Amino acid sequence: MTSKEELLEKLSNAVIEGDEDKCAELAESALEAGIDPYEAIMKGCNKGMEIVSHKYECKEMFVPEILLSADAMYAALDVLRPHLKVDEAGKKTGTVVIGVAEGDIHDIGKNLVLMMLDVAGYNIVDVGRDVSADTFVEKAAEVDADLVAMSALMTTSMVRMELVINGLKKRNLKAKVIVGGAPISQSYADKIGADGYGKDAVEAVRVANKLMEA
Amino acid sequence: MGRMTSAERMHAVMMGQKPDRVPVNPFAMGYCMQIVGLPLGDFYSDGKKSFYGQFMSMRLHGYDVSPMYGYASCGPWEMGGEIAFPYGPGHSAPSVTRHAVNTIEDAENLEVPEFRDGKLPGAYGIADDLFQMCAKYKMPVTFQSGSTFTASSVVADTTLFLKWVLKEPKTLHMLLDKVSDMYCNAIEYFADKYGPQAVMPFDGGPSEANTILSPKGFEEFAFPYMQKLHKKIADEGIGVVLMHPCADQNMNIPFYIKVREQMNWRGKYIWLFGPETPVQDQIDAFGAHDVICGNVDPPSFQTKPYEECVELCQKNIEEGKDSPSGFILAPGCEFPPGASPDKLMAMMDAAEQFGRYE
Ligand code: B12
Repeated sequence: MTSKEELLEKLSNAVIEGDEDKCAELAESALEAGIDPYEAIMKGCNKGMEIVSHKYECKEMFVPEILLSADAMYAALDVLRPHLKVDEAGKKTGTVVIGVAEGDIHDIGKNLVLMMLDVAGYNIVDVGRDVSADTFVEKAAEVDADLVAMSALMTTSMVRMELVINGLKKRNLKAKVIVGGAPISQSYADKIGADGYGKDAVEAVRVANKLMEA
Repeated sequence: MGRMTSAERMHAVMMGQKPDRVPVNPFAMGYCMQIVGLPLGDFYSDGKKSFYGQFMSMRLHGYDVSPMYGYASCGPWEMGGEIAFPYGPGHSAPSVTRHAVNTIEDAENLEVPEFRDGKLPGAYGIADDLFQMCAKYKMPVTFQSGSTFTASSVVADTTLFLKWVLKEPKTLHMLLDKVSDMYCNAIEYFADKYGPQAVMPFDGGPSEANTILSPKGFEEFAFPYMQKLHKKIADEGIGVVLMHPCADQNMNIPFYIKVREQMNWRGKYIWLFGPETPVQDQIDAFGAHDVICGNVDPPSFQTKPYEECVELCQKNIEEGKDSPSGFILAPGCEFPPGASPDKLMAMMDAAEQFGRYE
């Protein structure tokens, strides 16, 4: 392993361990070693968070541990981001309006998806929880969103996502829609006309990237 | 065996005897307001209307449990924050609009509410209007007495709270201790007011589910306060507790077993686990002395047709019917407030057809 790979792996491990100080230090070292900040984010921070998500799915890590990892990841991002070349952030990916469907206050999952999209380079516009269809659509128009990401954890709130999709179409907005949350499935996403579905936060990024390439 | 009334049926199960058929607890809360043509929000904001809706729904469908009051975000209002009642589109239960704790200092300054006649904190005042009606009709007074962990997770900003699990354990314990003191006050007040044999505390919540918290986290931050409250319940002479470990709590079961063991309690728990916990696992863990409720997948009542709902209930009954200390057919969490009445009929029809004991 080259010293560059070693450093990135250390960064990824520090994210997994949730060690904020170490993450900030390693991010500084990466810059000093001349590593491209975009690469450091993707192969250090992003990779670390992907492993964290995987460990969550396997019940090896739980939400408090993930939140610690997220704080550590942001400590590294704070160091690395100011050094990104302007067109690297956001342009490759896009702007995403993210929120929880109307009537629903479950926002832990949404926040994890938000973090993963953030570290993957998306510009994030967080509209919060219990968000009306109008607010989603207005916000998407206002920021010229490429993507709208919606989370719903209840059978009562998931039915409200379709209103957002219809609203976007009515306004002829370009934003593609991805949906997720415990009661959502690919077939439900298809039924309401969403462009993508992800079962977890890693998939959310994968699906978003695919839609952006298309 | 002749037909029993609902009261006789529940009494038989609680006494460890066989009733005529498996009783049904549809865990129907917000749903009941459909029956009486009132908005869902009234269930939570008006104790008398809440009683009326539940009482009428119970009589119309003929199920076996009486009205109760509670919701997952209990605590914030009582401890100085704010909640909103579910009158908006898509809403299904009260939600927090302002957390009482947003900093360590807030946690330090948090005051434990007292329970006094005419001055009950937050939603307990609303709930007591319902309890008075329950007492009048000789129905158990089912008040919320936990869980400390879930209440604390909404008294404080939830993300902050979850970060404190690893970053600020001392502050977290202070917060949990204060919230458990609130529940101790509730237990003492209602046991005193209605008599320990007339009350049935309701303990449970989703935030300690293993989709959020590790079993190690449960042991350190949920279990000690459960022990504290259940000791209080035992000391007050209360004999029955309704337990609802919401969602996937499979990894926490060893601790739930320990609560009884460590206090050597002689009363009865009624367990209502989420659909993630196989009925047989519940029987193995608690069946020797406690009543097991079913755990039919709740969203299915909203999304699946009547026939499929009957089938799901049949399967659940067959799994639990012969549990040694009794079984009650139930969904694994609240019956969906927007599900149509034929789906509740599916539970009743399944109990009649597949739940008879002769
Ligand atoms: C914690 C919790 C709460 C907390 C929420 C705190 C918060 N700020 O979020 C509190 C205590 C407040 C709560 C309240 C209630 N809850 Co609750 N709650 C839960 C619980 C246990 C965990 C949810 C969670 O955070 N999981 C962890 C996260 C990480 O997982 P996740 O959200 O699924 O997200 C992952 C994926 O789904 C995906 N994902 C999520 N969003 C998106 C979006 C996109 C675009 C993509 C691609 C992917 C994606 O990625 C994430 C990471 O892997 C669930 C049970 C469950 N199994 O989900 C019940 C649950 C959701 N709650 C339920 C209920 C009924 C309620 C209440 C109505 C109860 C009541 N009567 O008071 C209230 C709701 C009030 C309201 N107005 O909304 C039910 C919903 C039933 C239904 N299907 O309709 C559940 C399923 C419990 C159950 N078994 O019945 N709850």
